[in-house]
Amino acid sequence: MLVLMVVPLVTTIWLSFNELFLRDINNPTWIGFDNYREVLGDEEFWAAVRFTLLFVAVTVPINMIFGLGVALLLDKVGRGRSIYLAALLLPFIVTPVVGTLIYKDLFDRGGLLAWLWEVATDEPFLITSGNVKWLIIVQAIWHVMPFAMITFFAGLQTLPEDRVEAASIDGAGYWRQLWHVTLPHLRVLILFVALISIMDAYRVYDSVFVFAGDRFTDAHTLQVYTVEVAVDPQIGRVGKGNAIGVLNVIGIFVVLIPFLVISYRDQIRERT
Amino acid sequence: MNEQTLRSRIGVHGTLLILVVWSVVPFLWAFQTSIKFTRDVASKTPVLWGYETTASAYNSFWMKDDDIQMWNVAAYIAVIAAVAAFFGWSGRRLENGRAFFFAAAGVIALGLWQFPNIWRAEDEYDFLINSIIVTVLTMLISLSIGLLAGYGLARYTGISGAVILIIALGFRALPRSAFVLPYFFGATRIDQWLEDRGIAEWDFPLIDVPFIDEFGVLDSKIAIVMALVAVNQPFTIWMFRSFFMDVPKEIEEAAMMDGATRIQAFRKVIIPIMWPAIIATGLFTLLLAYNEYLFVRVLAPTEWTLPVAIVSLTGGESSRTITEGAAASVSITLPIVIVIILFQKHLVKGLGAGAVKG
Repeated sequence: MLVLMVVPLVTTIWLSFNELFLRDINNPTWIGFDNYREVLGDEEFWAAVRFTLLFVAVTVPINMIFGLGVALLLDKVGRGRSIYLAALLLPFIVTPVVGTLIYKDLFDRGGLLAWLWEVATDEPFLITSGNVKWLIIVQAIWHVMPFAMITFFAGLQTLPEDRVEAASIDGAGYWRQLWHVTLPHLRVLILFVALISIMDAYRVYDSVFVFAGDRFTDAHTLQVYTVEVAVDPQIGRVGKGNAIGVLNVIGIFVVLIPFLVISYRDQIRERT
Repeated sequence: MNEQTLRSRIGVHGTLLILVVWSVVPFLWAFQTSIKFTRDVASKTPVLWGYETTASAYNSFWMKDDDIQMWNVAAYIAVIAAVAAFFGWSGRRLENGRAFFFAAAGVIALGLWQFPNIWRAEDEYDFLINSIIVTVLTMLISLSIGLLAGYGLARYTGISGAVILIIALGFRALPRSAFVLPYFFGATRIDQWLEDRGIAEWDFPLIDVPFIDEFGVLDSKIAIVMALVAVNQPFTIWMFRSFFMDVPKEIEEAAMMDGATRIQAFRKVIIPIMWPAIIATGLFTLLLAYNEYLFVRVLAPTEWTLPVAIVSLTGGESSRTITEGAAASVSITLPIVIVIILFQKHLVKGLGAGAVKG
């Protein structure tokens, strides 16, 4: 693990101080902080930062609340539960690239939703730079929500029945039970899902790449931007890409620090 | 049943059905597109029913020859699946059924291997094989490391254990872009070194299987598997550790009292209890490896796996590529859907047992 993770990370940091082109990858030249200066002055970089933050801020809470809601509903179903579960899991297990492609087909010319839109508004539906961001966000909710759902659902299965019974004997209604018994039971899981969702939303690549491609550059997230800068065969600038990579790492840790502190405390408490 | 519970049940099922529609519609649409003729796909108002069906999109995506009876191919796949399923089923029923699972895997491997000898397959078939190799290797390596490390961290109760866990979690957070470039850089460096010393041209008679023409790291499955193991490792360690926390120490201590060494106790006593955990973690690893796009795109310019192949081959706008893209999407999705449906119960059980503990 040390070799596979720390060494690449150190290499990233070292390369980020070098000017290095993809077509000439064996000749890095030391240029100090120039890459960083260039990135921070780059309007595309800030656009990517803005969209990434918007993406995380919108999709993560919706996924979690939505996922919890569906898990609670699913928990009430007796027969047919596994069929529902399988159907709802589909978007999560499908390859992200493929999921995006088939979702995009609905909106393309001749697609089902594009047609419905045209029937409803009399105007052809076009994917524009205005709505592409929202299409990406809705697709992300479609794709990631089942993860929150199945994790919460699995957690609900371990809820001890006697506690629920005790609560209902005490006369607690459904909502008070939810608030005082169920949610505290799921606390660790909620933290876990929040952590994983933020990480995954922050580094979203596949769906944005498929949706925005080269056409809608202002809907690029940080990941897409980094890769576009670094691996373009003609002007691939590995050094600059690495500088953005380092900034990415710093960014995700700034976002995650509160969560990491909470789970560290949990770990310590578990031990004593 | 009184009226109120009836009404609430209708409400629950109704809401769930709407949700099912929301998650399944894109798949149904893709499936429908994949079996349509091009003229129906191109029409301005969607043809929802009453269209003629065809398998030509599947044919042109997977096969070199255009006039193959796709029913024969479907029958071939169905026979192999049935035989493998029979072996798997018997293996589950019998007491010492491990040999049957190997038989099932063998039947599948044989079927995959013989496929191009029966029909002339398109390059996509190689990408399918690549996908399978990468996925299986990643699962094997990543699960073995995860099991050992998770076991160690669960039994070791010092404070540095917690620190290691948090660091692992931190590594889970690292974006792919911080990894993929150094891997690329490192791989080119290693290849350069191998070439300078003439190792690259070495012929390995024993492992000169169809996969390796020139010995190197870049554009090989080694690089992809290494990168995938690296990103996946924190997750497997974390999962296995929380499962092991649930296994009481007394079990293995009892086994060791009976004269088993620690390793024997681990293999004979702990592993059997851990099967649900191994399956759940394995499924997540499988999803990660099978679905990976970015690493493969950067680290393997030609040795693609299926996701990269699909994106690269279906970029166009004409309706012919739309049907073909849909056919490709359906074919890549089906195997994984079958696997997940088979193991769904274990997934829920495993996640529930492990993740709740954190």
